[in-house]
Amino acid sequence: MEAGSFLAALTPLNLLLALAGVAAGTLIGSIPGLTATMAVAVLVPITFTMEPASALILLGAIYTGAIYGGAYAAILLNTPGTPSAIATTFDGYPMAQRGDGDLAVALACFASVTGGLVGALALLFLAPPLSRVALAFGPVEYFWLAIFGLSLIAALSSGALWKGLAGGAFGLILSSVGVAEVSADIRLTFGSQTMIGGFGVVGALIGLYCVPVLIDLVAVPERHLKIADEIDTMPIGRAARLVLGSKVNVLRSSVIGTLVGILPGAGGSVAGLVAYSEAKRNAGPEQRFGQGEPDGIIATESANNATVGGGFIPTLVLGIPGTPPDAVILGALLVQGVRTGPALFESGGGSIAYTFIYGLLIATVLMLPVGLLIGRYAYRSIVTIPKAMLVPGVAFMTVIGTFAIHNSVSDVTLMILLGVFGWVVGRFGFSASPIVLGLILGPIAEQGFVQGWIIGSAMEDLPGMFFGRPLSLAIIAFTLMSLCWPMVAARRQARATP
Amino acid sequence: MNRRTALKHAIAATALSLCAASGPSSAAELSGPVNYVIPFGPGGESDISARFQQPFFKKMFDQDMVISYQPGGGGAVGWASLNGLEADGQTIMGINLPHIVIQPAQKEVGYTTEGINAFHFFHYTPDAIVVQADSPYMTLADLVADATENPGQVTLSGSGKATANHLAQIKFDKLAGVKTTYVPFKGTGAAVTALLGGQVKGAWGYTTVGAAQGEAVRMLAVAMQERHPLFPDVPTFIELGYDMVGGAYRGIALPDSAADDVVTMWSDMISQINADEEFRQQMLDNGFAMLDVDAAGMDAFMAERTEEYLSDAREAGLIE
Amino acid sequence: MSDAARAGSSTGTLLVSLFFIVAGIVTLYDTTTYTDVDSKVFPRAAAILLILAATISLVTDLVRGARESGFGNGDWWRRLLLVGAMLACCLAMPLTGFLPAAAIAFLGALVAAMHQRWTARHVLIYGVSGAVLMGGFYALFRYGLNVPLP
Repeated sequence: MEAGSFLAALTPLNLLLALAGVAAGTLIGSIPGLTATMAVAVLVPITFTMEPASALILLGAIYTGAIYGGAYAAILLNTPGTPSAIATTFDGYPMAQRGDGDLAVALACFASVTGGLVGALALLFLAPPLSRVALAFGPVEYFWLAIFGLSLIAALSSGALWKGLAGGAFGLILSSVGVAEVSADIRLTFGSQTMIGGFGVVGALIGLYCVPVLIDLVAVPERHLKIADEIDTMPIGRAARLVLGSKVNVLRSSVIGTLVGILPGAGGSVAGLVAYSEAKRNAGPEQRFGQGEPDGIIATESANNATVGGGFIPTLVLGIPGTPPDAVILGALLVQGVRTGPALFESGGGSIAYTFIYGLLIATVLMLPVGLLIGRYAYRSIVTIPKAMLVPGVAFMTVIGTFAIHNSVSDVTLMILLGVFGWVVGRFGFSASPIVLGLILGPIAEQGFVQGWIIGSAMEDLPGMFFGRPLSLAIIAFTLMSLCWPMVAARRQARATP
Repeated sequence: MNRRTALKHAIAATALSLCAASGPSSAAELSGPVNYVIPFGPGGESDISARFQQPFFKKMFDQDMVISYQPGGGGAVGWASLNGLEADGQTIMGINLPHIVIQPAQKEVGYTTEGINAFHFFHYTPDAIVVQADSPYMTLADLVADATENPGQVTLSGSGKATANHLAQIKFDKLAGVKTTYVPFKGTGAAVTALLGGQVKGAWGYTTVGAAQGEAVRMLAVAMQERHPLFPDVPTFIELGYDMVGGAYRGIALPDSAADDVVTMWSDMISQINADEEFRQQMLDNGFAMLDVDAAGMDAFMAERTEEYLSDAREAGLIE
Repeated sequence: MSDAARAGSSTGTLLVSLFFIVAGIVTLYDTTTYTDVDSKVFPRAAAILLILAATISLVTDLVRGARESGFGNGDWWRRLLLVGAMLACCLAMPLTGFLPAAAIAFLGALVAAMHQRWTARHVLIYGVSGAVLMGGFYALFRYGLNVPLP
């Protein structure tokens, strides 16, 4: 932690890169179909001509901006712009529907900035020790983490528990379509070549969330979202007060996000989910989680931006990418000749790492004014735009965004068909989130299970493998807690009301 | 000479000059940025080697090389779509051995080995057994001893099933007469994480793992003819008495409908990058091993490899 | 909810739950074709969970009475037009290239979403802004992000 690195992060070029990166990232992340990974991958060649630290700052700024930008579509269109914003739809869209969309966007900005800061600070001060966490998580722990995630789906579908579980199970099955990772079998493709790649998360995301919204938008003449009385000023003060009043929530969610970000392969969607569920569990009895509770957005957005800093911990310390954009950035670093590992943090090579971390901190701070500004325009445009422009525009963007993932028209067709399916089942109580979360958690659960089984059988100690490890037991405990909690809370509420 | 002869000469001369003029102009040229599709996710060896090529390509041929990813099915999704891509020479795709030989032999994946129009294999990553730095295995003999005493209890991670790592594990088990347990992970990165975390006792990886992880790991042996220049202390399998040379080979292909001159152009371009000293050094410094199989030598190379992999896979019970 | 509506939405719930149950059964059947033991475990467990959850939710819905209101009101033709236009875009794309196909989707969605009366002014504004939007994003993706749009 040398002063020289800090000053290096403050050079005009680096500041400019941080600013431009955050702005560009926010815009990219807000378009459903464009992910942070894609944005980072496309801009890597530009960084070849830059200093390694400057390149890292640019890529990191884009990454963190994109994770924040995903909240716009989640709040205003019920479509996560990136998978990490899935949990933001739970309370974001209801808030927008009752006219508080601008507040939600402002909350998302404040939460993202604080979460990002916590993650980046963890990276700055605690990277080497925290990287051990990444290693301590073995296949069995990932399996139980995925089961925990699925139990959260059930717990969050209050009142429609079995529909939520059915959706989640369906998502698990969808994730099995294609070539199995754990063996070489092809599953559930019924001979079709197009299905060999399975259902991509981003395409399914757009289809299951966005298309039903569009289908319902065209059917009725009413405006999409209520226009609040004054839309010219963002309720910044109100948002700031809400965030300050939720300090425990913010801190807890950011910590959760950082830890989940450290685990390679977990990602922002899992972080948002876990943080949301913990916030709900710890909320008072007057909470309205699921109906537009500001604390919900605060929890998810601080968690998912904390994964940015958290994800860099295993990336820089161990050379193991924490999240997909980290993998791209790692590749870019290798080309520049930067060797990851503990040596990166010592002096000499250390200046690159520390300059980058300071730059990431600066970019996160810059995200506050930039994010509020862009958020205000995003909010105004989506709310005031007439439906006849909004629907075709969004429809067009879903087509181009889905196509761009794999340059495949069949992806787009699949997206639309999934969308119609999602609309139909959504009409009868099966919401999109359990299906998408099942799709995301499926591979994690399956690989963890099969690998744990193989190792456990080899060690001739299967029960010990699955139930004997301290980390696994902790996760199992959380799972049981989250499953029992709804019943305890309901009983408590019944007792409270006379 | 009389007029008729002069006319004949003139016609002949014109015809000759026309032929001469059309000769060099029929060579293919790039018409813009090229699209380099990697059929895996970012961060793997295919991605990294492509990223290394990117700046050299730009420098030598003054065109952008855009790397895009098309993961799925362990590469199958990308390779199945290869022959449907534009064949004008602006799109190329990374290919991997043994994948493109074993996958079609195992099941219907949407492409055939013969249908892949490979024009260059430019490197390979030699198989290597990697263990943690503080592992009790100091030499390969230690690992073999443990596996002999406790059959099945030596767990080795690797990237996927029916891949180079898996084949290497099966082959070595047979050569050493032991039984180890292979634990498939999604990609080399996940396999290495499991190794570093102590989830498994060792890993079947490549020399690139040793280069990337440095002091944190120890390589017990590499599957090369001679020791890798980056690791002069690591013995080869041959030295230790096991006849194992190989690894994962990576190359590039065009859609099969691409014109011959396009194929030749690309083969020459990649060969040129491969001949660059700075490029070779960068690849070696990161643990890769160089290979120079261009379009001319492709048929012979593929025939040899196909036979080798198919017989290995048959012996391993991966295919009938 | 009227009795007719309730009956309608119960059939809907029944059909959707049945679909999930059938999907589970199909999955179970498919697992018998796998060669590797490792690939069977997970889909089987998920299919069993699906069948169980769908059955229970079906029973609770029938007993308790469906809470969701089924397909609701709204113009069906608009919905069909929107989905149809988007699917037509997919079918057309390999033939006509990206922009014409996307224009089909755009126009279809535009007509479907337009609840006001069409005037010349509307045609002009929407036409121009649509062209700008599509052209702008096309350029962004094609040249900025290097996506090979057909």
